[in-house]
Amino acid sequence: MSVLGQPTPRIDAASRVTGSARYTGDVRLPGMLFARVLRSPHPHARITAIRPERALALDGVKAVITHQNCRVVWSSGDSRNTRYLFNNPVRFVGDAVAAVAAIDPHVAEEALQLIEVSYQTLPFLLDPEKALQPGAIAIHPGGNLSPNEAGVRQPEVYRRGSIDDGLRESELVYEGRFTSAHVNNAQMEPRVSVASWDGDELTVYASTQGISNCQRDLAKDLHLPLERVRVVCEYMGGGFGNKNQCHDFDLMAAVLAQQAGVPVRLELTRKEDYVAVHGRWATHQYYKIGVSRDGTLQAIQLRGYSDMGAYRKSSGSIAGIELYRCPHVETTVHPVHTNTAVAANYRAPAYPQGVFGLDSMMDQIAHELKIDPLEFRLKNATRAYHDELPYTSYGLEDCIRRGADVFEWRKRWRRAASDTGVVKRGVGMAMGSFAARVGRSSAVIRLDASGRYAVHVGVTDAGGGAKTTMAIIAAEALGVPLDRVTIVSGDTDRCPYSIGESGSRTTNFTGYAVVEAARDLKQQIETRGLPAGSAVLIGSATPEPVIKGVARYSFAAHFVEVEVDVEVGGLRVLKYVAAHDSGRIVNPLTARSQVKGGVTMGLGMALHEQLLYDPRTGRPLNAGYYGARVMTHLDAPDVEVLFVETQDAHGPYGAKPIGEPPIIPSVAAVANAFFNATGRRIRDLPISRERILEVLA
Amino acid sequence: MKKLSRRNFLETTAAGIAAAAVPVETGAQPTPTNQGTAPTGSRTTLELMVNSRRHRLDVEDRCTLAELLRDHLHLTGTKIGCDRGECGACTVLLDGLPIYACSYLGVWADGRSVETVEGLASPRGLHPLQESFIEHDAPQCGFCTSGQLMSAKALLTVNPQPSAQQVREALTGNLCRCSNYNQYVAAVVATGRRARLGPGEDIA
Repeated sequence: MSVLGQPTPRIDAASRVTGSARYTGDVRLPGMLFARVLRSPHPHARITAIRPERALALDGVKAVITHQNCRVVWSSGDSRNTRYLFNNPVRFVGDAVAAVAAIDPHVAEEALQLIEVSYQTLPFLLDPEKALQPGAIAIHPGGNLSPNEAGVRQPEVYRRGSIDDGLRESELVYEGRFTSAHVNNAQMEPRVSVASWDGDELTVYASTQGISNCQRDLAKDLHLPLERVRVVCEYMGGGFGNKNQCHDFDLMAAVLAQQAGVPVRLELTRKEDYVAVHGRWATHQYYKIGVSRDGTLQAIQLRGYSDMGAYRKSSGSIAGIELYRCPHVETTVHPVHTNTAVAANYRAPAYPQGVFGLDSMMDQIAHELKIDPLEFRLKNATRAYHDELPYTSYGLEDCIRRGADVFEWRKRWRRAASDTGVVKRGVGMAMGSFAARVGRSSAVIRLDASGRYAVHVGVTDAGGGAKTTMAIIAAEALGVPLDRVTIVSGDTDRCPYSIGESGSRTTNFTGYAVVEAARDLKQQIETRGLPAGSAVLIGSATPEPVIKGVARYSFAAHFVEVEVDVEVGGLRVLKYVAAHDSGRIVNPLTARSQVKGGVTMGLGMALHEQLLYDPRTGRPLNAGYYGARVMTHLDAPDVEVLFVETQDAHGPYGAKPIGEPPIIPSVAAVANAFFNATGRRIRDLPISRERILEVLA
Repeated sequence: MKKLSRRNFLETTAAGIAAAAVPVETGAQPTPTNQGTAPTGSRTTLELMVNSRRHRLDVEDRCTLAELLRDHLHLTGTKIGCDRGECGACTVLLDGLPIYACSYLGVWADGRSVETVEGLASPRGLHPLQESFIEHDAPQCGFCTSGQLMSAKALLTVNPQPSAQQVREALTGNLCRCSNYNQYVAAVVATGRRARLGPGEDIA
């Protein structure tokens, strides 16, 4: 019986429940030192003097690096500006000032306090729109609007049709302003790196979503040939987008290890994780949407501002427009620097915040036109990407219809604010789509006489179950039972190139390479027979599939029922149905977990999470799990998961991404349910108790 | 069962720590020194049972129980997610009760008995909770899993067949950022139900 499509427990699950799985922080090397980082207490300041002498004099301290003796550029830390490991001026509270390696973490921490730093404080900016006003201090030379890829300081613009004509000719035009907050990826495993030199060869035990891109970045920034850098990541404790590529602490650990002549482990605290790595970009979104009286969309205009924080690590896009069919569209998005924590990739980086604004607007328009929001979506949902490219497979409409049936939308949906009591019920829905890309990755399969198929793939398994997914795909492609397949992963010395676990690409890129490598191996078996004695057969592939003239997307529709207590401002999720078209589901057991997790993270973003800054000092106020109020067991609702399995000609067996899509509609869906319950709309995230009470007052 | 929010759970935990701190507070302040060849903070020799094995070791007083387990006994199954009593990844059982090992000094465990994730499985095989966690795909990245297991074990000791809501309450001090809470709850409920029905009789 085929294993693909069967609910299959993870092949490495036993190690995760017994404590034997070795995560990066569990790596101990002989003579290893422990490092800590000193960070700026000021949101914007010039370092006028830095004196590490007293720290160096502390017994047990082996190395101190600062901007004075370490000029390593962290290239993946900023795609537009030159960002060093240690920058002067410092541009946000948490910007690295120095790193210390010592014989234990406590000594390293003591040493931080002995480093004397003089700062000349500078004016600082916390708001992306204010940062663009004339006279605002420039955080980087040239201004606070971060340049586009061509280096030009202009907002990112997308257009089709004519927005002016579209708005002018629309029977009705609605406007709205929405904001979303900076929220943190907050993966459970802290940021940690262990670096070890053997002569001029560097090994970094990293907690990374991509060993290949981490290796490439380390080699680039340390000016080493690629083959002299080895990156190992056996088990990974989550990342959700903030552990891709190499990070400044990987480089710091490498530099400290080189100076000290022994291995160095650098681990960040949870607070550092919240302020000094990156979270999701906050946005300000201004919409103008034109529609005819029958509810047909005519024009969508978005002017957006994305708060990238102090450095530019990612796009800053505000996505969602592609969910709707509409002849006239214009989006203008400004990625802006402020003196706050860096914002970059976090699970579907551009989506949940964009869909929150856009699908709140759509929900409002449906309400104003007295149209059932479900019908409004069915009428206007995308049928071709940007109304132009046909989709390779399209399950959005089925997600909406079947999700609505399972949710019993027609029974549950009533006009907004139908309940008159203190506790009001309401339902909401929202849609999502996410690019299902294909591209280059490699796989090697080695068959020996014992009949064992060792699949070498450069995946790290950030929690999505990549090792198991690769094993299932290999078993399917080879036509052998799952227990004949072993996965060799997480080590650049033993694995070929793999795309990082970002953009929900692993199954599609590396999984497809596994299919092709299996095909190669099977051909060899056909011509040469099964290996005997010490002989081995090795199949390999590096496919580079390309899709042209069509668009490939995953789709989702979410439905939620909430209960709002208008006296205390409480919001409770009563029912949640998530319908997903991710093509063929390789492993329903792990795919379901991905959906449940993504939805629940989205609810945290919708209802609780926000990194707050003190406007007087520019300091973050609530870094950490407790202050961010991430979702807990008691907050998490039961999520019902429905897979709409479309047939797609691309990817391994037609599988499309599942990791990122589930967080996309959840924020908007719950916001819309709040409106349906109360008749009031909250336009700023999070939908906190304070905001609920304020809007109901 | 008393209803627990995460907040008052943390407060309760903190109160427990403060009370336990009383016997060792005096004279146990770490005293960093700049003399000698290595820093010599105040140290204590202690004895404790970990997973039914007796250990005698000499640790710095500022060493937490989590550090003691991980760095001195190399039991790295206990994870440190926040090191400040917020996430529960470091949950271990101290004389059978769940505590945050990051917020508990090693010296306070002198003469006491600690159980970690490494102590769950037996030569006969995995603990029923571990089996159930695998079957339900409860761990995704797995970093919070040890803590979830230890809290679940403590719950089943006092309440062998908990309801889903009772599991949520007992485990709410254990965060899971992969947010697979549904599956953790289902796994614990199923373990309890199976214990009642006997192996192989689970019908759900």
